[in-house]
Amino acid sequence: MSNNVVIKVEGLSKHYLLNKSAKQKSDTLYGNFIDGVKNIKNITKKREKQDFWALKDVSFEIEKGDRVGIIGRNGAGKSTLLKILSRITPPTKGRIEITGNVASLLEVGTGFHGDLSGRENIYLNGSILGMTKAEIDAKFDAIVDFSEVEAFIDTPVKRYSSGMYVKLAFAIAAHMDPDILILDEVLAVGDAAFQKKCIDKINDLSSSSGRTILFVSHSFSSIRSICNKGLYFDSGKLMDVGPIDTVITKYQRFVKETVAQNINVNVKPLSSTGEWDVGTDLSVEVSWERGRFAPGWHCDLAFYTFDGVKILALQSQMFSEFSSYGEYNAAEFIIQNVGFASSDLRMDVGIRKDIDTPYEIVVENCATVSPSQKSLPLYKRQDVIIVPKATCKAIKI
Amino acid sequence: MLINLAKRDFLVRYKQAFAGVMWALIKPMLSILVFGYISSKINNTGNTALNFVNVASAMLLWQLFSNVFNDVSNSIINNANLFSKVYFPKIIIPISTLLVCLTDFLISLTILIALFVIAGQTIHWHIILAPLFIILTMVNGLGMGLYFATINVKYRDVKFIVPVILQFGMYVTPVIFSTRYYLERMPEWLHWLFCLNPMVGAIDGFKYALFGGEAIYNVNYFIVSICVTFLFLFIGSRYFYKFERSFVDYI
Repeated sequence: MSNNVVIKVEGLSKHYLLNKSAKQKSDTLYGNFIDGVKNIKNITKKREKQDFWALKDVSFEIEKGDRVGIIGRNGAGKSTLLKILSRITPPTKGRIEITGNVASLLEVGTGFHGDLSGRENIYLNGSILGMTKAEIDAKFDAIVDFSEVEAFIDTPVKRYSSGMYVKLAFAIAAHMDPDILILDEVLAVGDAAFQKKCIDKINDLSSSSGRTILFVSHSFSSIRSICNKGLYFDSGKLMDVGPIDTVITKYQRFVKETVAQNINVNVKPLSSTGEWDVGTDLSVEVSWERGRFAPGWHCDLAFYTFDGVKILALQSQMFSEFSSYGEYNAAEFIIQNVGFASSDLRMDVGIRKDIDTPYEIVVENCATVSPSQKSLPLYKRQDVIIVPKATCKAIKI
Repeated sequence: MLINLAKRDFLVRYKQAFAGVMWALIKPMLSILVFGYISSKINNTGNTALNFVNVASAMLLWQLFSNVFNDVSNSIINNANLFSKVYFPKIIIPISTLLVCLTDFLISLTILIALFVIAGQTIHWHIILAPLFIILTMVNGLGMGLYFATINVKYRDVKFIVPVILQFGMYVTPVIFSTRYYLERMPEWLHWLFCLNPMVGAIDGFKYALFGGEAIYNVNYFIVSICVTFLFLFIGSRYFYKFERSFVDYI
């Protein structure tokens, strides 16, 4: 174990017992009554339990100054890991060695009380996060300044807008002084300008004083801008450790393979550089088993930013070249980058019978596309609407 | 952090209430009036004011106990959101609850002082012992509270059981009547059982500190009662520390 290792995790597992789901309920009143009586008899017996391993045999090392992004689908064990590292819940098996003091921010505004003013909450929350009164006194002005809620500092926080609430809460956390900072998906709040401010603050913390940071997020762009190392979890197992870019690539490939419900999505930029530069095309090929869909079915794409804002939807029947599937088994969309101001876009695919029927198949989050941010056109207005240049046709693969 | 949490609970308790902190006075005052009246009717003593002082001293101490016991046993689940997100020694929560109850109690002591003046009661040198019995009362509430707080994490029935215990408890504790009144009306073999109630020692001791004289009926019983207090604290805190680490998984 080299001297630089600040977190060492060996064979870590966390086990939970779940109550087994109730049996099929009877649909008559009498049946319900009988079930109820049976349950009363059973109540003294031990209920059947189900094993659940939130984390299975996880081992890794983190060195001082590392900024680690933790990614994985919901329920992969990311939050459980953070809870164990911050000593909130004990592990079932395994060993953890941590050098230095840890501050964890698993939720913004822990312990905030709506009836107390912003000022009182700063002191309360600060002390819960482990700061002394003198420390808070010294940083009070900086916190208020960072939070941008100076005018309302003596108003009870229950009268704050949710944005103000979160800003104040994050401002307090950002002024903690730990060796190791643990953050769980706390940047998903606040407006874009404030998010950027937070990311800058975190980068500042780690670069100026070599602080170690563990960061869970579903936003690849904020992970990329903060982290240098990645941990990728799936169903409680550590799938990959390494430089952040390779870990993210591996995760994206995995998501594409498993979630697709036998719908294959293939995304590739058609430019010579391999990037989706402004002015070049991106090919999105959605394919399926031949004969699965009758002629006349539609295949649609939707693109979201990581904040969940839908910025582009393409429907196959918008394009005149497109007739129907049937003997075809794929739809190919060609989309030109007319200048997307977002570096990561999440893509959903939906397939349905007709334009006004609900989708039969939706493959969410099946790919992440990254429009290049180089040579972006300058928009004079913020609310400019981007009209995509795109085509779609049915093809055989 | 302890102080800040206690401050939060205290500030929040009377926020947006018109009478504010006055409620810390009004609540005990009403029960003293009711039970003081009942007691003076039944005891038929000549000096009603003195009777009121007696009931008030016992009643305030009992209310301190009942607040500590009740609030501590609910404190863990009420603050579940805190320690499922931040790590800190969990004992801070019950202790801060204790401090809030103590503040309320100190405020309500003004009632007792006022009654002392009205009744013209003189003060003994024993009064320096009074803080001891206030502490004893809190230890009592804390010990039992910790035990029930731990059970409460898994079985929320505690929320309903504790008020019932407190309601019945008041009638087997020398609050309205003196220990002497109870014991003289009980068969001999019940005396020991009566004195296993830890609040008997605390209240009798407090009365002794305030009025001197015969408040302590039998020193043996008194000592038993105090021993029970510390036994409860021992059991309560052992139990609490044993399960402390797994609270988060059950809450």
